[in-house]
Amino acid sequence: MAEWKIYTPEGVQDILQNECFFKKNLEDRIRKVFRSSGYYEVETPIVEFYDVFSTEENIIPQETMFKFFDQQGRILVLRPDITIPIARVAATKLKDAAYPLRISYIGNAFKYNELGGGKQKEFTQAGVEIIGVNTPEADAGVIATAIDAVKATGLENFQIDIGQVEFFKGLMEETGLSAEETEKMRVLIDRKDFLGIEELVKEHNIRDDLKELILDLPKLFGSTDVIDRVEKYPINERSIKALNNLRSIINILDDYGLSKYVSVDLGMVQSLNYYSGTIFRGFTYGVGFPILSGGRYDRLVEKFGKSSPATGFSMGINMVMMALDRQKIEFEKPRVDTLVCCSEEGRKTAFRICETLRKQGLVVEMDINGGDFEAARNYAGLKGIGGILKVLDDENIEVHNLEKGEVSKVTISELLKA
Amino acid sequence: MRYLTIALSKGRLTDMSVELFEAIGIDCTELKSSSRKLILTDEKNKIKFFLAKPSDVPTYVEYGAADIGIVGKDTLLEEGRHLYEVLNLGFAACRMVVAGPAELMGKLDQLTNKRVATKYPRIAREYFEHKRKESIEVIKLNGSIELAPLVGLSEVIVDLVESGRTLKENGLVVLDTIADISARMVVNRVSMKMESERINSIIEKLRKELEKRCEA
Repeated sequence: MAEWKIYTPEGVQDILQNECFFKKNLEDRIRKVFRSSGYYEVETPIVEFYDVFSTEENIIPQETMFKFFDQQGRILVLRPDITIPIARVAATKLKDAAYPLRISYIGNAFKYNELGGGKQKEFTQAGVEIIGVNTPEADAGVIATAIDAVKATGLENFQIDIGQVEFFKGLMEETGLSAEETEKMRVLIDRKDFLGIEELVKEHNIRDDLKELILDLPKLFGSTDVIDRVEKYPINERSIKALNNLRSIINILDDYGLSKYVSVDLGMVQSLNYYSGTIFRGFTYGVGFPILSGGRYDRLVEKFGKSSPATGFSMGINMVMMALDRQKIEFEKPRVDTLVCCSEEGRKTAFRICETLRKQGLVVEMDINGGDFEAARNYAGLKGIGGILKVLDDENIEVHNLEKGEVSKVTISELLKA
Repeated sequence: MRYLTIALSKGRLTDMSVELFEAIGIDCTELKSSSRKLILTDEKNKIKFFLAKPSDVPTYVEYGAADIGIVGKDTLLEEGRHLYEVLNLGFAACRMVVAGPAELMGKLDQLTNKRVATKYPRIAREYFEHKRKESIEVIKLNGSIELAPLVGLSEVIVDLVESGRTLKENGLVVLDTIADISARMVVNRVSMKMESERINSIIEKLRKELEKRCEA
């Protein structure tokens, strides 16, 4: 009976004081970035109908979702993602709001992830969405916000790779490969499996210049020269449009002064059935997975009843925390400045002191050991509290500086003046 | 400079990998000595090495515990990890095949209850369920796979075949080839971006060395 009561299930975690303090600060800093760029935060339920996430394109495979039933037997899920619920809200409750919509969120999502390397089954995501416009300014704006958010976390060495799925789609259109073959090719290019790509290309009757370009695709990442290189090939209208779009986004980011964080990757071809334009991912040292990812998804919102282009990104807070830890970037820790102790006659004064010091911005704890000063001193030492104020009566106070080990006496007026 | 970490497969790939790295000027002396140290270093090039069980190499690389890995294609297919597979090293070449008694040749789809014995359940499923669109019952074994059809544990097997001698001596034949297998170099997806210069230089040097050997 109750064999598991002291355990937590695999993939979910208690987040204890120090870590929680830091995580909430991190979220606040990110929230500030989002707010200062005009994004309004929303909360959507953690529990949703399965139908919200179940799409023909199999964007989120059903085996990765936590499922259960409501009283009518309908399938519910713990949200595996927050972008899709926001698309639902945008197309329904916010369909008549001021467009373009700028929405942000910070919340937990759930997936049957394989664990390790910073991946958990419950994880916190922070992100923004711009719904209602399809302009390079919107895409660049979202990327700029992503960069600002990463900077706000304290990470300095990171890189945002930008790709364009339409480029690849145009290229495949030109080769005349079937949908099935295209998917095969996508997987190979996504894996940078040079050998596999070569074999697949050889099997088909593809123009020589295109063959060369496809074989080159996994290597097409780095500076914007990549775009210049590709433009020399006779590619079709769809691909050219994609490259032009990519170039304008990069130019805008250049004007933002962010080009040092940005590089191009034309071989980035993940989730083609979800993304429909520019896509990007953020990388840093110390973690083997991207810390953020995003892009344009113009055909998602229409699934909920209102056709609307959209772009956004989401950052993995747990992954960022792991990267900060690995890069040995200092975490701020919670701390109590002062413990106030008193006898019964000093109590009223003690409460007044607490209130005043807290207003001054100090973290003050009121002693609850029942007047046992030795116990209070022990506790303060263990918890690393800076000092104790022992209120003797309504006038005199003993100041115990625990860091220096000094004791001095002051009057209340002297103390509160300081 | 950060260390680049390379995970090598323990076993038959080890010596060949070491030899190849030495050929491009990476110092593997510490690796070759019979030290009990688990992580070995080439200080000059800022490279760390460790040996791991082959099936664990893709995991180390996917999670970024190693930037680069050397591992067989069979393991890559079976583990299905999210990695960059950048170079075919060519050595340890063999084939992943479906094998069984000769009378099954061309009749695989007629078996109603197809039991497949293998060390590679994922590869077997992928091949039968996705490529052939046939359902199977996978029997996971850890060695001497050829035994299974002989003692009636399974109808066919999915296994690696080098010369085909073991199969032949036991009256089995190759019914279909699933994939050509050889050693591959894999790279973590983030490392490829964050350390692209150093990693690309290693890839290029290895590629040239392999080409040289091909010509010779």
